[in-house]
This record gives sequence, C-alpha cells and structure tokens, in this order.
Amino acid sequence: MNALATRRELLTPARRRPHRTAAGRPRGDWRHSVLGGLILAVMLFPVYWMVNVSLQSGGSAVSTPWVPLNISLDGYSNALADQSSNLRTSVIVALGSVAFSLVIAAPGAYALARFRVKGAGLVLLGILLSQMIPGIVVANALYSAYNNLGLLNSILGLILADSTTGIPFAMLILYTFMKSIPASIVEAALVDGAGAFRAFVSVVLPMSRNALVTAALFIFLFAWGDFLFALTLTTTEDVRPVTLGIYSYIGNYVNDWSSVMATAVLASLPAVVLLVVAQRYVAAGMTAGSVK
Amino acid sequence: MADVDQSVGGGPAARRPPPRPATRRMQRLGQAMFLLPAVAYMVLFYGYPVIKNLSMSFQNYTTTTFFTGEAPWLGFDNYKAVIGSAVFDKAVLNTVLFTVGSIVGQFVIGLAIAIYFQRKFPLSGLLRSLLLLPWLIPLIVSSTIWRWILDKDSGALNRMLEGLHLVGDGPGWLTSTSLALLACVVVNIWIGIPFNVTILFGGLQDIPEELYEAAALDGATGWRSFRYITWPLLRPVTSVVLVLGVVYTIKVLDIILGLTGGGPANSTQTIATQSYQLSFVEFNFGQGAALSNILIVISLIFATFYLRATRRSVDE
Amino acid sequence: MSTRLHTRSVRWVMVALAAPLALALAACGGGTASAPAASGEVKSIQILDYYGTEPDNTIYKEALDTCGQASGVTIKREAVPGSDLISKVLQKSSSKTLPDVLVLDNPDLQQIAATGALAPIEDFGLSADGAAQGVIDASTYEGVVYGLQPITNTVALFYNKDILQAAGITPPTTWDELKTAAAALTKGSQYGVAFSAPADYESTWQFLPFMWSNGGDEKNIATEKTADALQLWVDLLSSKSASDSVVNWTQADVNAQFIAGKAAMMVNGPWQIPLLNAEEDLQYGVIPIPAPSAGENVVAPLGGETWTIPNTGDKARQAVAAKVVECINSDKNQLMLASARQTVPTKTSLQEEFIAANPTMKTFSDLVQTARARTGQLGTNWPKAATKIYTAIQSALVGGQTPMEALQQAQNG
Repeated sequence: MNALATRRELLTPARRRPHRTAAGRPRGDWRHSVLGGLILAVMLFPVYWMVNVSLQSGGSAVSTPWVPLNISLDGYSNALADQSSNLRTSVIVALGSVAFSLVIAAPGAYALARFRVKGAGLVLLGILLSQMIPGIVVANALYSAYNNLGLLNSILGLILADSTTGIPFAMLILYTFMKSIPASIVEAALVDGAGAFRAFVSVVLPMSRNALVTAALFIFLFAWGDFLFALTLTTTEDVRPVTLGIYSYIGNYVNDWSSVMATAVLASLPAVVLLVVAQRYVAAGMTAGSVK
Repeated sequence: MADVDQSVGGGPAARRPPPRPATRRMQRLGQAMFLLPAVAYMVLFYGYPVIKNLSMSFQNYTTTTFFTGEAPWLGFDNYKAVIGSAVFDKAVLNTVLFTVGSIVGQFVIGLAIAIYFQRKFPLSGLLRSLLLLPWLIPLIVSSTIWRWILDKDSGALNRMLEGLHLVGDGPGWLTSTSLALLACVVVNIWIGIPFNVTILFGGLQDIPEELYEAAALDGATGWRSFRYITWPLLRPVTSVVLVLGVVYTIKVLDIILGLTGGGPANSTQTIATQSYQLSFVEFNFGQGAALSNILIVISLIFATFYLRATRRSVDE
Repeated sequence: MSTRLHTRSVRWVMVALAAPLALALAACGGGTASAPAASGEVKSIQILDYYGTEPDNTIYKEALDTCGQASGVTIKREAVPGSDLISKVLQKSSSKTLPDVLVLDNPDLQQIAATGALAPIEDFGLSADGAAQGVIDASTYEGVVYGLQPITNTVALFYNKDILQAAGITPPTTWDELKTAAAALTKGSQYGVAFSAPADYESTWQFLPFMWSNGGDEKNIATEKTADALQLWVDLLSSKSASDSVVNWTQADVNAQFIAGKAAMMVNGPWQIPLLNAEEDLQYGVIPIPAPSAGENVVAPLGGETWTIPNTGDKARQAVAAKVVECINSDKNQLMLASARQTVPTKTSLQEEFIAANPTMKTFSDLVQTARARTGQLGTNWPKAATKIYTAIQSALVGGQTPMEALQQAQNG
C-alpha cells in the first residue's frame, strides 16, 4: 500500500459512526442526552456546591442554602483582582509542560515500542517505579538543585518540575498505542527514502495524533493541579500558580471560602475550554484509522 | 512485533553504499537519540530522590540533620520501629481496603459511563468534557466541599437523606470509625472516574464497528458482545488503567488528610498518611522514609505480578 | 524528496518547541536566591512567616516596613501556608538559605533551636524580660532564649447571651455546671456546646486547659487526672450535648456552628472575634474555660508566634535582623498588633493599658498571665506527646475505648 495514500486516509477526521441497533435504525435521540445529563448532575453535585458557595458572601459551611438566594459577587471580585496573574502563570506552565513532555516522551515511547532496545523492559519498569515515588520526596530533592541552579521562582523551573508526572505517564500511554501501529506502514515510508526520524515525524506522529491528544490532556491536568512544586519551588509572589495563590484566602484561623470557591470556578474555565476542544480528538479513538 | 527494517539509510548520502558496521552503529546511535532525552530526564529528576529516600530510611534523620547534615547510621532500626508500631497493621489494612475499593469503583463506574457514552447523542462531547471537572478542581477545594457535604448534622447529603425520609438520623460519614474509610473511598472514586472514563472511552472507540455488527448477525449482543469482543480487545488499555490506577491510589495523601486527617481514631490512616505523619508532624524523617519505601515495594510487587499475568494473555 | 523536511508535522513540532521556551525565557524571573551581601551595607532583610492571608498580611507588612525603615533596610517577606512553614524551614536549612528573620509558631521553636539553626537573642543585646513567664518558657531551649514573642492568645468559653438568657442559665464556671448547662441547652438542631477534636494538634490545643487545670501532665498522660478530663469530653458526647462531628471540626468549623446558632457555647480563641462582631444579631460573652471544681485555677495553653534570628553566618545581617525583631516587639507594636489582631500583648506591664482600650479582651488577658507553654516541660519531645494526646482523645470519643484505656494505649503505643 502506498504510504502517501495511507497517510491521506488517516489524516481525514474520523467520521461520526452512527450506532446501529440490531434492527438497523440509527439512534441519536435526546433521551440519551437527558440520561447523560442526569449522570453528570449526580457526579457534578459537588461542583454545583462549589459554585453555590462562591456566590454567597462569607460563604461558610453550616447554613448554606441549596440555591444562592442572595447572590454576592465579592468572592469573584477578590478572585479576579488577586488571581488573574496567577491564572495566567498556571496556563503558561501547564501548556509549557504539555509541549515539553510530549517532545521528550513521544520519541522515547516510539523507541521503546519499535526499536529492539536492550533493557526496554527495565526502562518501562523504571517509569512505573517513578510513578510510585511520593511527590514530596522529589520536591525536596529538587529544591536544593533548583536553588543552586537559580531555577527557583521561574516558569521554566516549574515546567520542568511539573513534567515529572507528565513524561512517565505520556510514555506509558503512547507506548501502549504505538505498539499497535503496524510495522508495514513505517517500512513503507523508509523504503520511500525517509530516515528514521523523518518516518517518525511524518508518519507515526500523525497516526498517533489522538493518543498524543489524550496524553496532552492528562499532562495538562497534572500540571494544572500541581500544588507541591508550586509551593516548594517558589519563594516570592512573582511566579505563583493559582493552586498556591488560592492559599492566600486560607489562613490558620480564618478562611474566606467564597473567594476560594470563586477562584476555583474561575480557574476551571480556561481548562474546560481546552478540554472541550481536545475531546474532539479523543472521540475519534486513539489509533484512529490504524490498519489492522 | 517486527523490527523496523533499517537497512536503507536516509538522504542523498545513502546513494554511496557505506561500510556495514559503521551504518549499524550510526543507526543504533540514531535510535538511542530517540530515547536519550527521556532517560536523561528520568535519571536527573528521579534518580537522586530515589537514592536519597533509600539512604534516609537507614539513618537517624531529624530536623537537626537538615541544618548540620549529620545523620547517624541506624541500619534496619527504622524499618523495625515502623513495622512494630501499633498503627502499622491498621495502616496496611486500610491501604488495601482503600486501594481495592477505589480501583474497583472507579473502573466499573468509569467503564459503564464510557460504554454509555459510546452512543451518539446530542451534546455527548460536551458532557464528556464536563465529566473531567472533578479532576480539574484543586484538591484543597474538593476535600473541603466534600467535608461540608458529608457533615453529620448540616451536610447536604444527610439533609437530603433525612428530607427523603431514607434515614432517621444522618450517619456520621466522617465521624464514625466504621464509615470514615468508606467515605474516603467514595470521594476518591469520584475523583478517579474522569481518568478512567477518558482512557477507556478512547480504547472503546478503537474497537471496529464491524466486529459488533458481525457478532450481532450471529446473535451475540449486549452482555455476550461485551464479554467476547469488548473485554478482550480492551485488555491493553485496561492494563494501563488498572496498573496506573493502583500506583496512583496507593500513594493518595491529600484527599484523606483533607477529609479526616487520618482519623477518627486512625480509621483512615494509610501507609501514605502515616509516612507523612512521621516525617512532617513528628519530624522523624528516617522512619517516614522507611514507610514510604515499604509502600514503593508493595506497588512494585503488584505491578510486576500484574504485568507478568497480562503479558501472557496479551501475547496471543 | 527533501520536501519531507517541511511537512506540517515538523513545523508543528518546531512551533510547539519554540513557543513555550520563548515564553519561559521571557518570563524567567530573577530567580536566584539572594546571596548575603559580601561586605558593607545591608540593604534588605528577608523574613519568612505564614501571615499570607488578609488582614494579617497588610497589618504585618505595614508594621515591618516601618521597622525596616527605622533600621535603613527594605523588608522582603515570604509568606507560606501555615502547615507548610516547617517544610520550608527545613528546605532552607539544608540549602543554607535561611531567612534573616524567621517567624515560628511557638511550640516549634524548640525543635528548630535544637538543630542549631537559631542564634540566642542575647547575642544581640536583646532580652525577653517583662513578658509573661509562659511566653518566655516557650521561646527558651536548654536555658537560652531564642526568640521574642510580641503577642499571644489562648482559648476560652464563648456563649450566646440570648440563648442562655432565654433558657435561664448562667454561664458555667465548673465542669459539673458545664455538663448541666450543655444538657439543658441541647434542643432541636442546637447543641449545648461545641469544641474541636480532630486528628491533629488543634485537638490537643483545645484539650490542654481541661487537662492542665485538673493537674494532668503531658509527661505521662495515662493518669487519673487526665482520664477525668477526657471523661468530661466523653460525657458531653454520649449525652448528646455536643455533636459527634467534633472529631472532624476545626476551630473555624466550630465558630461557624456557633454563629449559625447550632451551638449555644463553644471553646475557641479570640481570633474569631472579628467574625463574631460582624454578625449583627449575635450577642456573645466570653468567660474562662470552666475549672474542675469551684475555686480551682484554670491553666490555659499559649498561642502566638515567636520571632527568631537564624544563624545565616552573616553577622551584619543578623545585627540588623535583631533590630527588626526588637522593633516588632516594642511596646507600641505589641499594643498595635494586639488590638488589630485580637490577641494579647506579652509584656505584663502593658496589660492594664490594653484592657482599658479593649475591654472585650479582658478574659483572655487574665488567662495569659497564668498560661503555660506547651513545650515548657518536654521541649523537643512535645510533638510526640501532642500526637499521643489527640490519638487518645479520638479513641475515647469515637473509638469505643474508655478514657483510661485510650490514654494508656496512646502513651505506650
């Protein structure tokens, strides 16, 4: 099969496959949406509660009504005033971590899946082992190193540190899916004169697009939610991800929960937008179009 | 798995046939370059912490050590002390219950939701994205919200249960020694469902429609199509999700600390929380490191057994 | 054939690489830990504390800036969440980047002083004379004073004046009165009393006044006196005068219950006063924690932070740091901080003036004079003892053990 033709076929977005029942009628009705919505409503009740508390002044636990009757936007005005730059920092660090992790992990996963590397099993076990290490252990070790290298309070430092969860995870996911890419496709590209790297970039990566997006999704979420490195590797307010910024409302004695919840709501918004965009690719399946 | 045919070099230089041994070495070098950045990163960022944690567990590492750098060698004393402590047995039991309960719950519910969302209906993409919200929220916020919801007297859950007359007096979800661990498991399941749904959904999408149609023609639908088509083809994805799930769950710390602090009366104390307690509350870092190493060994044993078991079944 | 180099995929990869790197390099902050001035003038002083939330953040910023100006330096503050302060201190210890002034919660001072990281305050001509004895004890390690504490606080019993008046009950002064009052005040969704007994040091902090007033000793908690104190709490729970949720409530939660009218009385500290005052319908009163029996003394624990001077190795910076510490501990600042933060100044000579200006703080001020430091007897062994205490409390309250059993198991386990 011509490698070029295969690529063209693979790169067209997966068409929606209507689910057919045994009788052959396509389904797409709203009843499923309603049930799906109900499932979501039950799952997301705590999220609703978070929004509820964010809209009440002095949002406290005890007598919060089911629906915010007296809506107060104090929490949001505080959050917007204090946390905007923190939100920006979080977004930059998370996206940076995605890019960095994928650039490092994708070739590595490919090598493990394709080349007969001596000790590949050992590398995989090492990756798995790394995921077992409690984060505090890594954070403490990084602090001294960062201090000597002058990487404290820097976006680059946080990107590197947040990738400690992203890179191993991406390698495991991408390894699983790159294994199922048939060798014939890559061989076809090589016969056409491409080098190993070009074959990887032009053929394998596009085929793995959906696995890459799935991995990117989780790397983003890992980096976005990181608190430990944010706390350990910053000493000033210059570079402060929102997970740490939220603590300026959580004191030893007194907590300003409306502002905390408002910050959490605001922080979720850019992430949700990115997730909705990414889901289109995840929907297509992770090895979409791979020739079986 | 066929090895990629590397006998053709790249670029115009390949027109001249180069000597064989040099080409092979260069090819191997090129291949190593793919893996080198990843391995270098892992060694840099994980190598030192692992070794440090290991050596700390054999030393008398206290707050003084941080300032002076002195840590007298203790051999296995830290391990003996930790295993012999009154809390250890309970912590191990809680860890096992917590992990098994969380994984089973997350996986089963996650798979069910993923299968349900296989159908195409309006807004399914949007709903699937929103499903990721529990994982998006900072852990301090999630654990606080759940603490409020689960409060015995004024929490939303008990208010609902009492309002619907399902119970007379709301149970003490976080105050009863028999219910607290269950509450932590439920919250952890809630947080873990998005992870499972997303990966399983992607895996399910890979299974070709034609297989289901062919099976339907033979009369196999519903449960039988799940058992003979879905489940076997999902196996590699299932392995990844389960192994990673166990590895991540076994070291869960912030949720339990946020909900109950390890109480009441140590009923939610796991190995991970006890390790934190030893290191950062009692400042006995040697014992804390010993306990966290025990945790790593448990994870490793599980991962090795599980991967070996699944490799046999996948290689068919 | 070489067109492959510029496929969209490769370009995508390049952009993906370049963009974050460019951003990162552009956004790369100053980053380097400030090295001590090689010689000559000290331009700025670094302070590590946990006053990151409002209003404390602003209060301390202004006070410290003024103190800094008086010594000719600018103040650089790093504020971390309270529970993470010690982790930061340890990290900075091992990387030799301790701040010039370190603010510690007073029970942590002995731990840190034992490591050798702190300098005795008398090296800089400072002395803690004039402060309440318990305050000095907390900042003393092996006979040497390592910190100055400008303000302190403790716990007392708050009661809802309207609820008590309506029920015709006078505020309790003994344990028996407390039990009766709490039982009488429990009706509907309202509990008689609320306190905080979660699985951390807040529990110990709230229990100490009961334990100490009855003669209990933290050196060995498996004694009759401590068991009796714990029995009081167990009785309050078993008679439903207090909610089971006390084993999960923080002091902030207890305050929220009190404000919502779900508890007629509560054990809490003066930092709640601004929140209580903000509730217009709430009329509250403050009395000392009830004593075991009539006429006995109430011994309460001491809270508050102490200001220390780490051994950074730079004598010039330490001298200036000492001046800043002295300044924040001055009479003027003690009174200002105490009024602004609802706490009590530590210098005994200031009490009269303080109570005159803040009559609502009288109960707390009186209690502070006879209050005890948590680390006074056990020093660096306090964290272990504190853990044993709250473990025993939880086992007795909801773990199904009798107080004596729980205390013995905790003491020996």
